Amino acid sequence: MTAAQARRVVWIHGDSLSVTDPALSACPDAPALFVFDRPFLQAVPVAFPRLAFMYQGVRDLAAHRPGLTEIRVGAVPDELAAFAAAHHAAELHVTRNFTPDFARIVDGLRAARPDLRIIIHEPERLTSFDGPLRRFFGFWKKVEREVLHGEPAPDFPRRGHR
Amino acid sequence: MTDALRLPPDLLDDQLPRVLGEALTGLYTGEPRLPARVGGRTAGLAALHAWTGEGYAGRNFLSGNVSRLSMYLRHGMLGLREVAAHARAVMRGRERDEFLRQLTWAEFYRLVLRQEGARVLGNLEDPKYPARWTDTLPDDVREARTGLPCADAWVTHLVRDGWLHNHERLWFAAYLVHWRGVDWRSGYALFREHLLDGDIANNALSWQWVASTFSNKPYFMNQENIDRYSGGRWCRTCRAECPFRASYGELETQLFGTRP
Ligand SMILES: Cc1cc2nc3c(=O)[nH]c(=O)nc-3n(C[C@H](O)[C@H](O)[C@H](O)COP(=O)(O)OP(=O)(O)OC[C@H]3O[C@@H](n4cnc5c(N)ncnc54)[C@H](O)[C@@H]3O)c2cc1C
Repeated sequence: MTAAQARRVVWIHGDSLSVTDPALSACPDAPALFVFDRPFLQAVPVAFPRLAFMYQGVRDLAAHRPGLTEIRVGAVPDELAAFAAAHHAAELHVTRNFTPDFARIVDGLRAARPDLRIIIHEPERLTSFDGPLRRFFGFWKKVEREVLHGEPAPDFPRRGHR
Repeated sequence: MTDALRLPPDLLDDQLPRVLGEALTGLYTGEPRLPARVGGRTAGLAALHAWTGEGYAGRNFLSGNVSRLSMYLRHGMLGLREVAAHARAVMRGRERDEFLRQLTWAEFYRLVLRQEGARVLGNLEDPKYPARWTDTLPDDVREARTGLPCADAWVTHLVRDGWLHNHERLWFAAYLVHWRGVDWRSGYALFREHLLDGDIANNALSWQWVASTFSNKPYFMNQENIDRYSGGRWCRTCRAECPFRASYGELETQLFGTRP
């Protein structure tokens, strides 16, 4: 393990429960944390099987990656801050999702740990479309060729991959 | 230090309901029990590879061969790209195109969420009829005792399996919003509670599509439609006063008033 890798941690959330997750694949050896979000679950009813399904997802990726994988129950920004501190991490890696909760947690973490660099990886996309959206039909007309044939239409700029 | 609880990442399925149930005390509804399908990428890949897509043309029938991959896609256990690649490799012709088109709805809704953010949790547009919706989910609906065998089955399936066929979701949503006059957000919350694939984008935006706050007209069905696509499952033996038994024209007037 190089020194640079030793200073990173990964946040695994409910939209990224796979070893192929961009943040996890960028840091295969780094310690990774999944948190069952206590304040969220206290406020929002979720039936048990869904939580068990997510647990099984974390268990599966823990078994398939070289780095340490931890599971906690608590407030997500607090747990991420404590986890990063415990591993002397300078960087936290995570894959973006578009939920308001994601933005809230990232903001909370930035406030708690201004010195921690948060590296946000972009999630995988099916299409390269980036324009405004309104109805599915119009969207489909724009991406049809790309989706059906697995390649973007010629008049479409390819999205940059990082 | 935080007051966090730690869980080992290698609990066996046998231990899961008890140990995870204790760790999450007060944080879930219902009984601690295993999900109807095993979570994780390994199980998701096995389900993907086992799926040939044969007969997807009949996807609107409850007996149709749909993939049931949504819970794996929702949690990132499978990616939209690899599912699309699998479909391109194993499926043929119109069935393949139809499947890829359905998959694209998931991408579309994700992008709408990216564009709209938390706004997707409220009406994105005005409803396309004079709607007066109440907020609360009626008890008889939640407890699957409406007296309508079909509607009760939709709720029972939802709670038992954590998954519903797309047509059952559509019927239930239309029943709740249009026949019972309940705001789609109560239905969204019930789905979020029980669906293994429940998310913000697909769930909220599909409800809005049915409610007509993210579409040009409300979605609704009649008895004939339920009978046909369920293979007569409930209608054949049903003795209830059927609220869905009328022509589309009659129901349109009854539910939405005469439209210009
Ligand atoms: C009221 C309502 C609520 C819904 N809530 C959710 C939800 O919370 N999460 C969710 O994933 N889907 C939701 N859907 C969409 C759809 O019903 C499910 O994705 C589908 O039934 C899943 O079964 P499948 O995997 O066998 O689908 P398949 O037919 O095999 O399709 C493959 C994949 O394509 C995508 N897909 C197919 N149809 C749709 C659709 N109409 N809209 C969006 N994506 C689609 C899904 O990712 C699905 O897994 C909802 C639909 C309605 C009407």
